[in-house]
Amino acid sequence: MPNTDPLARARELSLAGLLGALGLLLPVGFHALGWAGKVFLPMHLPIVVAGFLLAPSTAASLGFVVPLLSAVLTGMPPLAPPIAPLMAVELAAKATVISVVYRRLRLPLWVALLLGIVVDWIVLALAAVAAADFFAIAVPPTTYLWGVIALSVPGTIIQIVAAPAAVAGIERRLPSLVPARKSNPASPRSASEDDEP
Amino acid sequence: MGVAPALLVERLSYTHSGGQRALDGVSFSIAPGERVALLGPNGAGKSTLLWCLVGVLRGEGKVIVDGIELVPGKEAAVRRKLGLAFSEPDDQLFMPTIKRDIAFGPRAAGDSPEQANRKMLLAAAQVGLDPRLLERAPHELSSGERRRAAVAAILTLEPTALALDEPTNSLDAPGRQALSQTLARLTCAQLIATHDLEFVRPLCARALVLADGKLVADESTAALMEDHDWLVERGLAVPPLGEP
Amino acid sequence: MPHHIDLYLKHDSPLHRLDTRAKSLALAGFVTAALVAPASPAWPLLGLCAMLASTAFLGRVPARVVAQRLLPLALVIGAPFLLSLLGGESTRAAGGSFAARSLLVAGAFLVLVAVTRAVDLLETISSYRILRGLGSLGEFILRGASLLLEEVIRTNRAWALRAPGARAAKRVAALTAASVSLVGRAAARSDRVGAAMVLRGFDGTLLAPPPRPLPLAEIGLGTAFALACLLIAGLGRWA
Repeated sequence: MPNTDPLARARELSLAGLLGALGLLLPVGFHALGWAGKVFLPMHLPIVVAGFLLAPSTAASLGFVVPLLSAVLTGMPPLAPPIAPLMAVELAAKATVISVVYRRLRLPLWVALLLGIVVDWIVLALAAVAAADFFAIAVPPTTYLWGVIALSVPGTIIQIVAAPAAVAGIERRLPSLVPARKSNPASPRSASEDDEP
Repeated sequence: MGVAPALLVERLSYTHSGGQRALDGVSFSIAPGERVALLGPNGAGKSTLLWCLVGVLRGEGKVIVDGIELVPGKEAAVRRKLGLAFSEPDDQLFMPTIKRDIAFGPRAAGDSPEQANRKMLLAAAQVGLDPRLLERAPHELSSGERRRAAVAAILTLEPTALALDEPTNSLDAPGRQALSQTLARLTCAQLIATHDLEFVRPLCARALVLADGKLVADESTAALMEDHDWLVERGLAVPPLGEP
Repeated sequence: MPHHIDLYLKHDSPLHRLDTRAKSLALAGFVTAALVAPASPAWPLLGLCAMLASTAFLGRVPARVVAQRLLPLALVIGAPFLLSLLGGESTRAAGGSFAARSLLVAGAFLVLVAVTRAVDLLETISSYRILRGLGSLGEFILRGASLLLEEVIRTNRAWALRAPGARAAKRVAALTAASVSLVGRAAARSDRVGAAMVLRGFDGTLLAPPPRPLPLAEIGLGTAFALACLLIAGLGRWA
């Protein structure tokens, strides 16, 4: 296993912590306005940004931890019915796909974001099917899935608008977070790319 | 034979990525146990100098801390000898509790939990931190307490020298006094970067003055404070009310 | 606005003083029992409800607070339950069982976090090697949350959301813009925090929290509670 640059690793942990904190706080803020979390997907935005800025393993861990931590600390999303565990799997997959596509495959930001959104829906469907029998959920998984997708259109639009702006702004301020492009090997490369088994 | 300096800086220069020259040939030394003020208005290069001393920014020139030169591969050794307290203590308190934060350095250096705990308690006592605060999260402490906790976190590494960046930021008068008393008790060499002249006057017998990245003065603090016009010219003081 | 995000209620009760590991054991037993207890007869679930109520009483967690914190779940739990009432007997039974178990599990977690500091919970998780990465990440998130809460308080746009009469669209736009700004500041701050960690000797390895002695009596209590819950569920199945 290659060595990890401690400074890059420390930055990554700290950034993951702060983005995860946003994942905890934004839903609280939206709930205070009276809007349901499922409409604007406030937890998704920081995790999506994390996918662009962090290594795949860290992004996946963050996507997994945030819904569960939020469930335990704030009571939302609920652990029972198992919405928080479903979201944990969903966000972990979304963040991983975005990170792999953007940072490893070096594809454009839009491609990574759209792929992430699609994978999110697929994983949500699979996880809902798997959970339905085990937890004896009364609502059919397909009904649940279409309902979630339809309700989350505003939130998906927010991600498409806000995430690229946030990522571009952060990469401008912190060029060390920009993954090197194949067309420009001299670009600064994040040392966190080495943090992979 | 003279005693080796705790900190020796020779012709230190640094240029930002945008091309702006932040430090230009700065040279000075600090003797063991000496307290020196690093003065200058905002933008003079004080913080940049401190970041270069610990190797976070890579400047040109030489930095030698307690006989160890700052070269690639030696950063960790230098950082154990020279501790840096940030202007914002919240940036340095990253663990869930104060106790774990202060003990972080010794644990990272390989100390056993018991050894780290002993060093933690000693450092907390050195800065006058109430032991009841150790189990608390950082956000449960006042600004002054966080500042002292951040200093304690550095002292656990038993550095030869301590650099502080704007230590009186957001401190009220009692907080400043408590910090001043804490620093006065410490025996390590200190470099206190600040534009707060009243804070350093009783603490530091000597002062360095930076202006536009250059060292423009290195003399006794008392002598410096007497020349008010010069201080105004350097942006370290304001003219009396009514004067232009 | 508080500088912490968790639901901890600061009291001095036997449950507050109980070791976090003991409480976690008790919770694990209770949740397992709630999931495996039969829907019919109803007494096992009622028994578990009584166990939960007595725990809340011991922890000085007011019933009013538990009810308030369960209210946001009303739609998520209530909707499927109400839908199930439109179906046949088995669907109604499944709906009722679903609602009861969900309330029990949610209630159990709410009581736990009301009597346990979040830092203690995460430190316990981090003390297990296999969970250290996730626990440590949780600790960084918790610390980040308190820092960001302080920033939100200072951010003008966050206060603009409280402007009376502000239209919903304007408030959502302000919140979105504030979020983007916060993300940018979070990234800049992470640079400084990362430097602080390295300056104190961080070499990329996550450190285990300091070991704490295992209070056998308390662990025994937690285990006994867990076993009692499982016994109730088991007796219901075998009866």
